[in-house]
Amino acid sequence: MAASACLTLAGMHLLIWLKQRRAWANLLFSATAASTGLFSACELWMMRSETTSQFGTVLRFAHVPGWVISVSLVIFVRFYMRAGRPWLAWLICGLRTLALLLNFLMGQSLIYREITRLRHIPFLGESVSVPEGIHNPWMLVGQLGLLLLVVYVADATLAVWRRGDRRQAVVLGGSIVFFIVTAALQSVFIFWGIVHAPITASLFFMGIVVAMAYELSRDAFHVVQLGRELQESEQRLALASDSANLGVWIRDLIRNEIWATDKWRTLFGFTKSEPLVLDKFLQRVHPDDREGVLQVLTSAPKGNGGYEKEYRVVLANEQTRWIASRGQVEFDGRGKAVRVSGVSMDITQRKLAELEAQQRRSELAHLSRVTTLGELSSSLAHELNQPLGAILRNTEAAELFLEDPSPDLDELRAILVDIRKDDQRAGAVIDGIRSMLKRRKVEHSVLDLNVLLSEVISLVRPDAELRKVQLVLKAASSLPPVRGDRVQLQQVLLNLLLNAMDAMNGFAPDHRRVTVRVQPSGARIEVAVSDTGQGIPTDQLTRLFEPFYTTKPNGMGLGLPISRSILETHGGSIRAENDPNGGATFYLTLPLANEESTS
Amino acid sequence: MTEPAPIVRIVDDDASFLTAVARMLGASGFVVKTFASAAEFLVRPELDVPGCVVVDLQMPGLSGLDLQEALATAGHMLPVIFLSGHGDIPTTVKVMRGGAEDFLTKRGPKEELIDAVKRALTRDASERAERARLVALRAPFATLTPRELEVLKHVVLGRLNKQIAYDLNVHERTVKLHRTAITTKLEVHSTAELTKLWMEVGDLEAIEEGKKI
Repeated sequence: MAASACLTLAGMHLLIWLKQRRAWANLLFSATAASTGLFSACELWMMRSETTSQFGTVLRFAHVPGWVISVSLVIFVRFYMRAGRPWLAWLICGLRTLALLLNFLMGQSLIYREITRLRHIPFLGESVSVPEGIHNPWMLVGQLGLLLLVVYVADATLAVWRRGDRRQAVVLGGSIVFFIVTAALQSVFIFWGIVHAPITASLFFMGIVVAMAYELSRDAFHVVQLGRELQESEQRLALASDSANLGVWIRDLIRNEIWATDKWRTLFGFTKSEPLVLDKFLQRVHPDDREGVLQVLTSAPKGNGGYEKEYRVVLANEQTRWIASRGQVEFDGRGKAVRVSGVSMDITQRKLAELEAQQRRSELAHLSRVTTLGELSSSLAHELNQPLGAILRNTEAAELFLEDPSPDLDELRAILVDIRKDDQRAGAVIDGIRSMLKRRKVEHSVLDLNVLLSEVISLVRPDAELRKVQLVLKAASSLPPVRGDRVQLQQVLLNLLLNAMDAMNGFAPDHRRVTVRVQPSGARIEVAVSDTGQGIPTDQLTRLFEPFYTTKPNGMGLGLPISRSILETHGGSIRAENDPNGGATFYLTLPLANEESTS
Repeated sequence: MTEPAPIVRIVDDDASFLTAVARMLGASGFVVKTFASAAEFLVRPELDVPGCVVVDLQMPGLSGLDLQEALATAGHMLPVIFLSGHGDIPTTVKVMRGGAEDFLTKRGPKEELIDAVKRALTRDASERAERARLVALRAPFATLTPRELEVLKHVVLGRLNKQIAYDLNVHERTVKLHRTAITTKLEVHSTAELTKLWMEVGDLEAIEEGKKI
């Protein structure tokens, strides 16, 4: 009965191992339990033996399950309890194997060199056979192995106890030690003839089997409980993510499979049962965004594994949806990316609002540019009249030369060269104005602030000359680039320069000076525009950037607020300060092109 | 004494426009000289050479207006023609009050500019002739002694010899001798003629100025 119970347990755990090949503990337990079952069957057989030779043969073969039990126990302790000294483990296995070999080579078995006769003694109301004979001295090898096994398990148990896992130490380690010791004592007493009883070591081994079964079933129970908790937590997660409009997904990189919540499937227009792979997902991404998404996905495992991306998806009905995804790559022990998990959410509303706000800002910025250029109109007219007037005079001169019977052709050629040059000059002025006046989309590119500043200064210079203002540009020798919209940044600089010149109306001409300094400052570039006017009253310093606040008789009060809004969308800032020696300075900062976030 | 040919001085900071205007006026038969700035012109104005100035109103540093003002302060009467991209009323009024010959837009027809230059040259020539005549008229006055000048001032006021003698505390006959010297030196034959000449050359300060030129 005990044997069949052991075999049943063995079968169960063998099945567990077969299903889950990494459950080595279950395989070892299965081996131990099966061997214990076999061992007890051998014992039963021995009790029923009629002849000495029959007894001897069974006893000899009973050593095989015995060997399996001891070796399984050694390995089980080593791997399941994660304790025990390796050298001891190898020594025990070696001794037990040697004992097994001796068992088959020397005498009738390891225990008896020869069984001389069988005695029949009563045992639990039945008559059972017990042997008598000459002891085999090699028996000591097996007993030494058994002793070492006790030492090995006891040592491991102590280690587990010290590690803090006291329950396991007592239940598993304690019972293994206890049962091996008692089994060994019993056999020793019997073999040395001190006690007259049949060998029932399997009963003690069964104690070990029970302890192991208890321990493993705790694990199984624990797994079930974890499973249930996981399921609950998944449900909670789904509930939370659904109510937050988040689609949750996990991508298995090894099997190229995507698991996703129903919410996620709805977001991307997939049915609930459709199998998902990366290509299917990419097909839903807007063609313009596809490359960017792919790039983020491929580069994420190279960094810390986290990423964020905003992109569009196109649904079956041509509807476009903006999605924000945030993902985290998971790595295995060797640093290989195995899974990516994350959340996605619909940000269409936010994006539309952002685009609308951007459009409004851009319209306002355009309006302000038109106004600003209006202020420059007289100097711009001068800039245009200069080349146009030159062209006119040159053509008139050429006509006069042609009246001569033998005109000076070299002179005429020189005139034509000049006319072409002036035409290009006038064209450049018009292009400059047009680019500022055109309604246009915001386009970010990599810019050199030194170049941008000299362009703006050349635009303002005629006006400055007219107003007798000295313009000084202190450019940095080498400047890392910034990223931004050329026209909008020109507008900001133009606005600051015109303000600076306005600030000096009524001052003596030799006192009117605007200085523009540009220099790198950490991860940013700072541009300072200083005037030599009377400065800004302290209470106005902060109000300057409020919309419709103006100190100019004809001002709209939009220049500085728009400048600030432009700079903020560029990740920059603007502030005003009074200079200790009179005048005011406006500082604007812009991040370097390579310091900007790529989200 | 032969007057040198009149020179049209053109002042503009824009090299291209400067060359173009110089070419056109040159081809129209004028002798031209170009200056890249008002300062460059004012360093060596060569005011004894007749002509006129064609100047850009808007220039960095000294503007056309500054140039006009500098000439006026120095008392030179070289006619100035202003060129501007566009003429606004306040500026026009200002330059005309300052004695500008003309105020033209840069892109006006060439005839406008040529006519203006011609007018300016004519005016300069007549002003120079007038100045030369005055200088010639004033020359004899330099030969008068201080006492004779003092007597002359009283004579042109129509005072009698007796009154003059009393005022200057000298004998009447001395006054008569001075008067004779004056009429001889100035080559006039009557008091009326003397008075007319006096009116023409202006007051004594103008004569003193005349001596300096």
